[in-house]
Amino acid sequence: MSTRPERPTYYEELLHRGYSRRDFMKFCTAIAAYLGLEATGAAQVAQALSEKPRLPVIWLHFQECTCCSESFIRSSHPIVADILLDKLSLDYTETLMAASGHQAEKCMRDTMEKYKGEYVLCIEGSVPTEADGVYCMIGGRTSLDILKEVSATAKAVICWGSCASNGCVQSAKPNPTGAKPIHKLIKGVPIIKVPGCPPIGEVMAGVLVHLITFGTLPELDGVGRPKAFYSKRVHDTCYRRPFYDAGLFVETFDDENAKKGYCLYKVGCKGPTTYNACSVTKWNNGTSYPIQSGHGCFGCSEENYWDAGALYLRNQPFPGFGIESDADKIGTAAAIATGVGIAAHAVMTNIRKSKLIKDVIDEGKDAEKEL
Amino acid sequence: MSSYKLLRRVFVWELPVRVYHWINALAITTLCVTGYMIGKPPAIMFGGEAWERHLFGWIRYVHFVAAYIFVFNFIFRIYWGFVGNKYADWKNFIPTNRRYFQQMWEVLKIDIFQTKPGGHMSVGHNELAGFIYFFTFLAFLAQVITGFALYEPMSDSWFAGMFSWVVPLFGADSYVRNIHHILMWFFILFTIIHVYLVFYHDYVEGRGEISSMGGGWKFIEEDAFEAHQKREAEEKAAEEKAATEKNNKAA
Amino acid sequence: MSERIVVDPVTRIEGHLRVEADIQNGKIVDAYSSGTMVRGIEKILRGRDPRDAWAFVGRVCGVCTSVHSLASVRSVEDALDIVIPPNAELVRNIMFAAQYMHDHVVHFYHLHALDWVDVVSALKADPKEASTIAQSISNYPKSSPGYFSDLQKRLGKFVESGQLGIFANGYWGHPAYKLPPAINLIAVAHYLEALEWQKEIVKVHAIFGGKNPHPNYLVGGMACSIGLDDVSSINAERLAYVGQLLEDAKEFITQVYIPDLLAIAPYYLDWGAIGGGLGNYLCYGDLPTNGYRDVSSYKFPAGAILNKDLSKIHEVNMRDDAEIQEFIDNSWYEYPENAKGLHPWKGETDIKYTGPKPPFDHLDTTKAYSYLKTPRWKGHAMEVGPLARVLVGYASGREEFKAIVDSTLQKLGVPATALFSTLGRTAARGLESALMADWGLGFYNDLISNIRNGDTRMANMEKFGPEKWPQKAQGVGHSEAPRGALGHWIVIEDQKIANYQLVVPTTWNASPRDGEGKLSAYESSLIDTPVADAHQPVEILRTIHSFDPCLACAVH
Ligand code: HEM
Ligand code: HEM
Ligand code: NFV
Ligand code: SF4
Ligand code: SF4
Ligand code: F3S
Ligand SMILES: [Mg+2]
Repeated sequence: MSTRPERPTYYEELLHRGYSRRDFMKFCTAIAAYLGLEATGAAQVAQALSEKPRLPVIWLHFQECTCCSESFIRSSHPIVADILLDKLSLDYTETLMAASGHQAEKCMRDTMEKYKGEYVLCIEGSVPTEADGVYCMIGGRTSLDILKEVSATAKAVICWGSCASNGCVQSAKPNPTGAKPIHKLIKGVPIIKVPGCPPIGEVMAGVLVHLITFGTLPELDGVGRPKAFYSKRVHDTCYRRPFYDAGLFVETFDDENAKKGYCLYKVGCKGPTTYNACSVTKWNNGTSYPIQSGHGCFGCSEENYWDAGALYLRNQPFPGFGIESDADKIGTAAAIATGVGIAAHAVMTNIRKSKLIKDVIDEGKDAEKEL
Repeated sequence: MSSYKLLRRVFVWELPVRVYHWINALAITTLCVTGYMIGKPPAIMFGGEAWERHLFGWIRYVHFVAAYIFVFNFIFRIYWGFVGNKYADWKNFIPTNRRYFQQMWEVLKIDIFQTKPGGHMSVGHNELAGFIYFFTFLAFLAQVITGFALYEPMSDSWFAGMFSWVVPLFGADSYVRNIHHILMWFFILFTIIHVYLVFYHDYVEGRGEISSMGGGWKFIEEDAFEAHQKREAEEKAAEEKAATEKNNKAA
Repeated sequence: MSERIVVDPVTRIEGHLRVEADIQNGKIVDAYSSGTMVRGIEKILRGRDPRDAWAFVGRVCGVCTSVHSLASVRSVEDALDIVIPPNAELVRNIMFAAQYMHDHVVHFYHLHALDWVDVVSALKADPKEASTIAQSISNYPKSSPGYFSDLQKRLGKFVESGQLGIFANGYWGHPAYKLPPAINLIAVAHYLEALEWQKEIVKVHAIFGGKNPHPNYLVGGMACSIGLDDVSSINAERLAYVGQLLEDAKEFITQVYIPDLLAIAPYYLDWGAIGGGLGNYLCYGDLPTNGYRDVSSYKFPAGAILNKDLSKIHEVNMRDDAEIQEFIDNSWYEYPENAKGLHPWKGETDIKYTGPKPPFDHLDTTKAYSYLKTPRWKGHAMEVGPLARVLVGYASGREEFKAIVDSTLQKLGVPATALFSTLGRTAARGLESALMADWGLGFYNDLISNIRNGDTRMANMEKFGPEKWPQKAQGVGHSEAPRGALGHWIVIEDQKIANYQLVVPTTWNASPRDGEGKLSAYESSLIDTPVADAHQPVEILRTIHSFDPCLACAVH
């Protein structure tokens, strides 16, 4: 990332063309006057122009619910107004941009041309691959087509949320549209996965702020998630963990144990197998997180989580035996059946092998007598 | 009338096999009990404060300790299958010839279906038992793989680290956990049947089956012993003949 | 000859909407609305545990987050005959109020405002004038000349950077923009204030549901137990937090949102006669105060209005298979009998794309042209949403509705007929937000007094376990989502979902025409809309945005 040439600022460009600092300030004052700004405005304009250009970002929406965008605007540090005005240049996002239709498409093209290899591509949503991609079309093109083109000249790709990172709900069985996550569709560009349904707003902002502030990709784990936010299980830092270790569990929702804040393991909490920052960073500026509100984690940042077992069942239904049958119920039944079988076998043995058994016993008795 | 038979004492289970067996039995029992509780923790209502106890932590700890013991004990047994006596040899578990299958069928008829009250006599494992142990060993392996895959995220050990590929392979932790959980029931059923059959053989045959895993000795009728010896001699001769024929051809 | 123009993507909405319109002599003569993304969530639900459905359907939309989960748990409770405790009803209502206020404010400022507010013109405003106007319409403290001039400087710096970000290529300077610079500046200021505020009100969801977007729901009640003696349950601190958030929300709505609405509307009164469309309105009702089954206890009354006739409210029965049906004559689906409508309990979701092969310039609108199905009530195309709710409340004679509607009409000096319009739709959204701000606090107070009286139940778990379920059951869960009437129909067989169908507000509004050629709300409201410049069709956006489109909802 650091190898790319720095784009000159307006000031640098003017210097390059032989203008002086004085000329530059005169130009700024003129602009400030033109804009009707007060005297101090000129200095601010000057500062803006001599600063680095803001990081250009294209944010694409495919098969998604826009909740990742919603989560992003919930960020409290930094607040999103500051991100949008000062930190980056969100040049394309269907959720917030003023332009529509051709004007919107032009925004995208402009950024792709002007900042080739420099813009960051954020993706919200999975891409349908069945039926040549017709299950998601924008401006008469398939999302697959758009993804291939826009990612080819991006500096890096950020996959927002579980949709882009692992396919999320629409890729759950039977995956009617052949929805796929981004990393299965493109190659040759760094990909950062920020899973979660949605990811925490501050985490999303944090990933962008890392890019902007340090100019590098955050360090990623083996599957491509920033280590900073995804290296711990929810369970590792869950404040209900002492109850877990003590063996104190909520048995059903809203029972006495629930009112005491016991561990939610037995009502299906997937915190022990879920990598996310929820129990540390928490949600909505640290207000709470699922477990704190009394509902177990259902693993929304994990690969395949919609098909990985029912929400409230610690022991999953035994395939083919209906919703109430878990392995223990089947196992207990099998154990009883075995016991019955053994009893039957023992009785049969005494009947059918009576001669043999008698021989063995007689033999022993004879020997005893002989002694 | 007395049908007095001469019994010969045969040393079947060497000390390492016996020690292995009992460590294994103990470990599996412990793993089943603790595993069951991990899957379905006992309900404790109004149990006081968390800091007062560490019950579930202990249950899991015991499971993991037993798991390590189980694994290395198992690895040891595999090793012993190559260096131990002929009754411990790996060939007892994997059918390598037709006779093995014939014998298995015999055992099945006599012991399980009880078609004819007769005496099939084996010295070490009977073939059916051996074959079932083979599957049991596979289940051990599966249990180790799934168990350590589940353990890997909460462990820094290199050993558990070797299993980090498992969960991605299955797609989700819960699938692995399900397999692990279902296999527990295999072991429970195995143990019930196994213990019953040991008692059954002891009762029906009177050859010291139960105590064999204690002292290592089994008792075998003289005529059965001789038949055994004869067959082994024949097999050895046939093998040698085949070998010389092969050598001759090569030359 | 008419000219066919295409707006795709329609932005500042949720999801993938394409509009094609035929323009003749500066007016729209025909219009086609197409949803171009589908996920098949109804199919994915089949065979799953009904108790889990809320989480799946919650992911239908993250903008109106929580409403699908609410409709879902209601459908399961309806099917299994589960009555939730009063506290759970109140918590759900409080969360619902929070969702409304959030969704409507974000829609007004961030999705709709740029159709009316010229951001670039704000640079030319006199901050002192802006301050004077702001102070004359509201007590909101952030209104000093310094506040506005700081903002203007910041904006100037932003514009001068040459990187206009989300404001690039807007229709700035278009003659349809009528606001004076000072009001543009106020609106831009509040665009940013609203952006900051909206992240606060959703904390109500975080407290009761663990997070927002996508808070957690529970069949049988809510998971957030009340435990006044426990630090991690709903205790005095959590409740006080909610109370504060609701107070702050009310302040924002009454001191920022409503005054801005009333300040902007007078410049666009002509839009009180544009974009009316169908004149048929449908509500399922919501905000039960005595249980979901007691429709008379709803804060939002149910009913239908036909042909703008406010003197008659028709009754709506969601269970009657002759009343609500979905058709696919112009949709990319397949039915056993394509021409026959299906009641949602018998609904099917077999996707079959028959449109042009992408990339394409135009849809073939003589054939199927959308992934939305076409819902009809007794054969009528119906508009749903804030305007429908306000009209049904008004026509039902509910005092709260009458008071707020009449006073607004009076303030703007327009007749009641101006309600049937683009402007009316946008105004209704503001008015019901104001009602919500009050109602939310009311539910909160009820919750507190319940707890004070010793009722701390939050969930009824009696029938949570499938062993008590009948072999077959079916239910309807409905809600008045921010964008309108939302229904989830579930069929449970052998403890699993046998069928699950959603008919969503935007499905009603944005659907393609039916087999008889009757247009749905979007298409019909675009007819006769003036378009000054076919290449900058901001007028189309105004009317379409007035519905607050959500296409992920509409198709799901
Ligand atoms: C015969 C051997 C074993 C049996 C019968 C057994 C049984 C079980 C059962 C029933 C569970 C509960 C699963 C659930 O949550 O539904 C469990 C959990 C587990 N077992 Fe085993 N297990 C065995 C061997 C092992 C081994 C060799 C390991 C290796 C480390 C292991 C590691 C684990 C782990 C990590 C868990 C999950 C614990 C947790 O969630 O905290 N197990 N076991
Ligand atoms: C009272 C308890 C037990 C007794 C008396 C007992 C006895 C025996 C005997 C006599 C054998 C040799 C069988 C043969 O001749 O083929 C044997 C083998 C075996 N037993 Fe047990 N057993 C007991 C419990 C268990 C338990 C709990 C397990 C574990 C699930 C177990 C696992 C095995 C295995 C895997 C073998 C094959 C050993 C080998 O050759 O490595 N046993 N047992
Ligand atoms: N249409 C719609 Fe929704 C709403 N409001 C859902 O029911 O937006 Ni996402
Ligand atoms: S990951 Fe979840 S939250 Fe994000 S768009 Fe997808 S469904 Fe919505
Ligand atoms: S509530 Fe969930 S994450 Fe927290 S300790 Fe219990 S099992 Fe772990
Ligand atoms: S469900 Fe998701 S929000 Fe966090 S606590 Fe679990 S990862
Ligand atoms: Mg539907």
